[in-house]
Amino acid sequence: MRREKLKAVLLGVFLSLLTAHLLTYSLHATQPADVEQQAHAIAAELRCPVCQNLSVADSPSELAQQMRASIEEQLRQGKSPDEVKRFFVSKYGDWVLLAPPAKGFNLILWLLPAVAALCGVILVGFALRRWARKKAVQPTDAAYPSPPAGEDRRDFLAAEQARLDTEMRELDFDFQAGKLSDADYAALSGELKVQEAAVGKQLAAVPQYIAPRHPAEKPKARAGSEARAPKNWQLATGAAFLLLLGLGLGVLLTQSVRSRDSGDTMTGDFLTGTQAAGPQEATLARGRAAIEKGDFPQAIEAFKQVLTADPNNPEALAYMGIMLSQAGHKDGALTAFDRSLAADPNFPLALWGKGMLLYRTGGDPVEARRLLEKVSSMMPAGPEKTEVQNALTQISQSPGAPTTAAAKPESVPQAGTGSAAAEGQIAGVIDVDAKAKANLDARAVLFIIAKPSRGGGPPLAVKKVPSPKFPFSYSLSAKDVMMPGAVFSGKLYVTARLDKDGDPLTHSPEDLAGEYSKNPVDVGSKKVDFVLAPARPDAR
Amino acid sequence: MPIRRLILTLAVILSLVALLAYGFFRDPRYIPSPLVGKPAPNFSLQLYSGEKVELSALRGKVVFINFWASWCPPCIAEAKEMEAAWRKLKDQNVVFIGVEIQDTEANGRAFVKEFDITYLMGNDPTGKIPIDYGVWGIPESFFVDPDGRIVYKHVGAIDPELLVAKTAEAHQRIMTAKEGKGEYQSIR
Repeated sequence: MRREKLKAVLLGVFLSLLTAHLLTYSLHATQPADVEQQAHAIAAELRCPVCQNLSVADSPSELAQQMRASIEEQLRQGKSPDEVKRFFVSKYGDWVLLAPPAKGFNLILWLLPAVAALCGVILVGFALRRWARKKAVQPTDAAYPSPPAGEDRRDFLAAEQARLDTEMRELDFDFQAGKLSDADYAALSGELKVQEAAVGKQLAAVPQYIAPRHPAEKPKARAGSEARAPKNWQLATGAAFLLLLGLGLGVLLTQSVRSRDSGDTMTGDFLTGTQAAGPQEATLARGRAAIEKGDFPQAIEAFKQVLTADPNNPEALAYMGIMLSQAGHKDGALTAFDRSLAADPNFPLALWGKGMLLYRTGGDPVEARRLLEKVSSMMPAGPEKTEVQNALTQISQSPGAPTTAAAKPESVPQAGTGSAAAEGQIAGVIDVDAKAKANLDARAVLFIIAKPSRGGGPPLAVKKVPSPKFPFSYSLSAKDVMMPGAVFSGKLYVTARLDKDGDPLTHSPEDLAGEYSKNPVDVGSKKVDFVLAPARPDAR
Repeated sequence: MPIRRLILTLAVILSLVALLAYGFFRDPRYIPSPLVGKPAPNFSLQLYSGEKVELSALRGKVVFINFWASWCPPCIAEAKEMEAAWRKLKDQNVVFIGVEIQDTEANGRAFVKEFDITYLMGNDPTGKIPIDYGVWGIPESFFVDPDGRIVYKHVGAIDPELLVAKTAEAHQRIMTAKEGKGEYQSIR
C-alpha cells in the first residue's frame, strides 16, 4: 500500500519536472518577431570570443558590439536566425555557439547529465526495492529466518517485539493523523497483532536458563555482523571521494566565488595560467604603479575606485592611509589604517603605515611598538625591515615619552641660531599678514610643507606646529620627511598653512596660507621667509 | 567481488575527474579556425594613402593579412620585423595588408609613421573584416595563396622567419591546418 503511494509521488514529481522543462523549452523556442529582439536572442546564443562564458548579448567588449551590429545587419538583409548563426559558425567554428551541437565529443556534454540522472534513478529504484523487500520478508510469523537458539534467540525475539510495538504505535499515529482509511488501519493493525502474538508465544517458550554455547557458533555470528558493517574498501573509497570532493570544492570555490571581469577565467590563474586579475586587482595594480611613478592624483583616483566597489579593501585603505600621512593628514591617515586593519588585522602595509605614523608623530609609542613589532615579524630581511627595527629601538629607548624623532621638530626651530645653518635644512621665518594677525585663533595649527613639485602630489616633508607664535622661526630637515627613507634634498617648494581647527581635511575661509616667493628652494637655504594671508577655501 | 567493485568505482570517478581536468587544462583561448583551406573572404579596405584595396583583385599573388591595433604590445613588437620581411619579399609577387581594428585612424597613422611601414595599411572602423576572418585576438595573421585560399593562420606575434617560410609555402599552395601561436593580446 505504501509502495503504491510512493510510486504516485514519484510519478507526480517526474511529471511536474517534465512540464516545467517543456514549458521553459517552448519559451526558448518561440522566436521574437522584432529584429532587435531577434538579434538579441541570437546574440544570447553566441559566445563572445574575447570573454569567458559570456554571450555576445551580455558582453560589453568592442568585438561583441560589432558582432551585435553584424547580426542586426544580416537580419535586416532578410537572413533567417539560423543562417546568421551558421555565418558565425563558419567564421569561428562550433565553439562560438554557447550551446554546442550534439555531435562528436560534444555529445558527452549532452549525454552525461542524462546518463547521470538515469543512473541516479536506477540506484534509487534499487535501494527502494531492497528496502521494500526487507520489510516484506520480515513480518510473517512462523517464517522468521530461523531465529538463533538460546540466549541469542531470546534477545532476537525481544528486539522483534520492540520493533512490532513501535510499528503499532506508528500505525496508530498515522491513523489518528488521518493518513489511513478505517479499512486499511483495521487490516494492518490486525496483521501486526497476529505477529505480536506469535512473537510473544515464542518468547514465552524460550527456556530461562543460559544455553551453553557451541564454540563454533561465535565466529559464525561475528561473520554475520561483519557482513552488515561497511567493508574496508567501501570506507576507503568513500573517504577518498569525500577528500577529493572537499579539496576540489575548497580550491575551486574559493578561486571562483569572487567578482570577475570579462577576460577573467573561473579559476583565475590557478589552472590555465591566465591572469586572475579581477577588476579590483587591476585597479589596485594601477594604483600601485601610479604610486611607484609618483603620480599620486592617479593613485588616489584608482584606490578611490576600488573603495567604491569594495569599501573595506584593506590594500586600498592602507595605501590611502599612507598617502594621507604623507600629505600630513594624520587623523585621516589613522582612520584609513584603522579601517584597513579592521578588514584585515594582519595587513602588513597598514600595520607598517600606522606603526610608522604613530612612531614619527609620537602619538602612541606603546601602540606604535606593538604594530611595528608585529609587522617586523612578518617582513623579510632587507632595508625596510632594518628601518622598522631602528624605529623599534628608538621607541624602546624613550618608553612612554613621545619619540625622539617627533619631539625634536618642535624644539629645533628657534630663530636663526646655529642649528638652522646646519646642512640639509631649509630655514626661515613665517609671519602672518597684519590684518589677519588681529583675529588669530589660539587653537590654530601651522603646517609647514615642502613638496618636490608644485602640483597635487604628497609633500616630502611636513612640520606640524600647534599654537604657533608669530613671527615663527622654522626649519625643515630630514627629520620631517614623511616617508621613511625618502631623501631630503633637491629643489623644494615651501608652503605653509595655518589651519584654524587643526584638521587638514577641512578648509575654512579663516585658514591662512602662504608660500615662499622664490620657490623652489635648494635644501640648505636659509631665510626662506614668507607671510601667511587669508586663503580662499579652494586654494591649496 | 570487492576488487571488481573498487575498480569500477575508481574508473567512474577517475573518468569524471579526467573529463574535468581536460576542461580545466585546455587553453580556453585556443580556437581552431574553420577558415583554413577555405576561400579567403573578400573585403575592400580604405588605405591611409587614400587608395582602396580589394582582396579579389589580388588573385595570383600571395597575400599576407595582418590584423593589428596600435595599443597592442605584441603588434608593436612585431611591427619592425614585419616591415623588414616586407622589404625583403616585396619583389616576390607578395602583398602585405595591415588591417587596423578596434583603434582610431589617427593612432594607426602615427603607428605607420613611427615604424616607417611601407606595405598597405588601412583602418576598418566597422569591424566587419575581422568578424569575416573569425578574428578574436590581436595580432592575428592570415596567408592567402594565389588561388585566394587561406593556407595558414597565425594567432599572436609572428616571427619574421616563419613569415618568410609561410609566404614561400603559400606560393606553392601548401596548407598548414594547425594554427601557429605567438604572444598575443585579446581584443578590447
